[in-house]
Amino acid sequence: MQIAQIDLTRYSNQFSSYTELRLHENRVQSIALLNGDVIANTRDTSGGVSARVFDQGAWGFSSSADLANPSIEATIKAATSNAGFLARRTGDPAATLPRSAGNRNSDFSSNKQPLSQEEKIAFLRRIDQYITKNCPDLVSRQVSMNCLDMEKMLRTSEGASGYNITTRALLRVALTTRNDQGEPIELSEGFGHRGQFEDVFPTTDEAEIVVDKLYRQLLDKKQAVKPVSGYHDVVLASDLAGILAHEAIGHTTEGDIVRAGSIAGDHVGQQVASDLVTMVDFAHTYEGETLPVPVYLDDEGVESQDTVLIDRGILQSFMHNKDSAQFFGAELTGNARAFSYSDEPLVRMRNTAILPGQDKFEDMIAAIDDGYLLMRPTNGQADSTSEFMFGVQMGYEIKDGKLGRATTDTTISGIAFDMLKEIDMLSDEMVWSCAGMCGKKQPMPVGMGGPAVKTKVFIGGE
Amino acid sequence: MTEQSLARQTLAGILRAGFDKATCRVSQDELHELQAETGEINLFRTSFETDVSLSGIAGGRRASLSINKTDEAAVGAAINDLKTMADGANEDPAHDIAEFQSPERFQGGVGEPDYDAMFDRVVEFQRYAKAQYPTLNIRSVAATFVRRRSCLVNSNDVLFETERGLYRVALSFSSREGTNNSSMMYTGFATYDLNTPIQDATNVDALLRQSTEQVETRHIPKKFKGNLVIAPNCLTDFTGFLTARIGDGPMIADTSVYKGKLGQSVASPLLTLRSMPCSDDLAGGYWVTGDGYKAADLTLLEAGVLQSYLLSLYGANKLGMERAVNSGGAYVVDGGDVSCDQLIGDVEEGILITRFSGGRPNDRGDFSGVAKNSYYIRDGRIQFPIKETTVSGNMVDLLASIDAVSAERLNFGYSLLPWVRARGVTAS
Repeated sequence: MQIAQIDLTRYSNQFSSYTELRLHENRVQSIALLNGDVIANTRDTSGGVSARVFDQGAWGFSSSADLANPSIEATIKAATSNAGFLARRTGDPAATLPRSAGNRNSDFSSNKQPLSQEEKIAFLRRIDQYITKNCPDLVSRQVSMNCLDMEKMLRTSEGASGYNITTRALLRVALTTRNDQGEPIELSEGFGHRGQFEDVFPTTDEAEIVVDKLYRQLLDKKQAVKPVSGYHDVVLASDLAGILAHEAIGHTTEGDIVRAGSIAGDHVGQQVASDLVTMVDFAHTYEGETLPVPVYLDDEGVESQDTVLIDRGILQSFMHNKDSAQFFGAELTGNARAFSYSDEPLVRMRNTAILPGQDKFEDMIAAIDDGYLLMRPTNGQADSTSEFMFGVQMGYEIKDGKLGRATTDTTISGIAFDMLKEIDMLSDEMVWSCAGMCGKKQPMPVGMGGPAVKTKVFIGGE
Repeated sequence: MTEQSLARQTLAGILRAGFDKATCRVSQDELHELQAETGEINLFRTSFETDVSLSGIAGGRRASLSINKTDEAAVGAAINDLKTMADGANEDPAHDIAEFQSPERFQGGVGEPDYDAMFDRVVEFQRYAKAQYPTLNIRSVAATFVRRRSCLVNSNDVLFETERGLYRVALSFSSREGTNNSSMMYTGFATYDLNTPIQDATNVDALLRQSTEQVETRHIPKKFKGNLVIAPNCLTDFTGFLTARIGDGPMIADTSVYKGKLGQSVASPLLTLRSMPCSDDLAGGYWVTGDGYKAADLTLLEAGVLQSYLLSLYGANKLGMERAVNSGGAYVVDGGDVSCDQLIGDVEEGILITRFSGGRPNDRGDFSGVAKNSYYIRDGRIQFPIKETTVSGNMVDLLASIDAVSAERLNFGYSLLPWVRARGVTAS
């Protein structure tokens, strides 16, 4: 049974209290080449139905992989029963939720003829052959593809409904060489866009540009020096601004995290950043362009709105689901998202960005006497204290306003609300990344964006 | 249809489609979860999941696929897709399936969830935490019962059936006093029963108490090179460098610093590391490997000497080396002969680390990251909780520098780990 063929309105009469009924399927395709060999050639399709019911302040949730009519009915019944089980023990008859009746549809599927797995493997092989031809002296080369399609149909007891297909296609290239001491030196980049593979990668041109840049920096990294640990003036390249927005500030301003004690809860209306800084969690569109992870209708049936987190340095508001909006008496923002059919919606970011400034990147480098240019993030982590950390694969010394030697992998950290106040330059470019996968309880694709940022951070190392 | 009959029927379909060798695993998962957030039990979840995983090799070309539907049309379409996918892959003689082993059925753990016990334990924990630690803020508590029935068959007549039910408990919390917050702390464990109150399991109670202390943190006096006392809660963040680097990817890519070191000393003689998925002590173990072998317990490091890589059948064939007898995980580090107190008591200057928030180490093992929920040690005594402190070093050197392992160990259900002390780590 295909999701699109199912009419959810027929189940409305089975909703005894506030109910969300969601059909949801994730389709993942992965291929990985290691030194030319196909080491992964997989597809994973996982879908089903879930129902979530609110009864006297308690939530009941149930899910099943089976999309047949009896299964959908049983799922609603089980979720209702689960909510009742809790309501009888902990229920508050006065508990309510904000209402929503959003109705939005979107479909980012390709209209092109789908490529076969064989054709996709051949595509990756062309990239691999390009590397072999143009990047001598590698120990290993990895080229991989990961495509995710999320198809969701929603109906709630308040009349919200929607059918949305969100897609993204990513490639990752990792190159490893050895330095003069025979030690492995690695550099990798994940890249891609919203859309299916056929639309996102019509040719290998983008991948070849990535490979060329990656290889040049890998050669620089062979002679890299360790950065000196401590607080430094830095320029965070634009590919780091997105993860900075997501990890350093974004998580601390999620409504459920604020409710759990995030330090951001104390600072609404206060100056938490330099007045150059405006930060927004965009729902789906920025300056007329559809963003990497467009969310028009969230999984609670709320039409998604942009959420201005920081406006010219002042902390403005938080991202919410129905629970946190109710708790704070705030407007719904449409940030409730579930990764899989068997997951409940959580407060999640969508496309989180620091808005660009007016500085030129070259001027930002020139403004530092002794510091670092940092680029190419790996993993990151946030904390309710606003202390953040993320890994950096690559960097360069800045001496007297000029780029110097490459630097090795490191970790940067700081207190977000301190670091934001130190921002004194923002470049005039806006770079979006589609490759983010946030790991807050459930995985979730996220978009991240921003300009290059000049600030101070703590660089780890010996 | 039972898991076995669906698995057999699917296997036959894969072979009919033109594959030379094939494997099919059918799993049925049942999940029941009670979740509390910010002090209120607010979600009760039941979930039923199915997984049908197929893999096939035709002319040395391999593909794998999984779906969560069991009807004939869905399985038939999946088999057709599998063939198309394999046709596009390259021929690689390293692809193979597990050879014949005697059919076996494994069963363990709990049969049915006890909702009352789950509810009572969560309520009891929240009441305890609120009464004992008024400044503590429990962000979430989840008590989950999971039961998985699974059947794996392959075209070499392998047949393994497994069934395991267990409880998982996951906690996250921080503390707040005035406008001071502590860092968020996470912990969890797997268990076959809920006989023990949550606060008495592993070191949960100590972590709660520490969280309340950590609202008042201080910078370390100055940058220093000293000891790192690693709590069991984050030990696998450090041993994980080794276990990741002896697996297929880095070994085949020839980027592992441990390649060619079998039988050699690669870590401290005090460190013995095992992967014990079949141990009765670990609720979160497994009986069958991902590539279709009956799993066995395995010693990876014996007194610091590398005893085995963690290669799958593919990795082993690719490299002409031996396949590991399990797929890793379920890590057990042997206890030492000193108490935790002694382990800290001998430290002139160091850090007791309970959560490591670090960047991914590079291939050489260089690492740095923030020591969260951690303490400064001076003159053999814990001095104060620290803030904004980064620890850095090299994972290979760190594992070689371990100079003490505690006798006490914590059983998280998925691992059994002591406190260990390493030397030469920079704190700044």
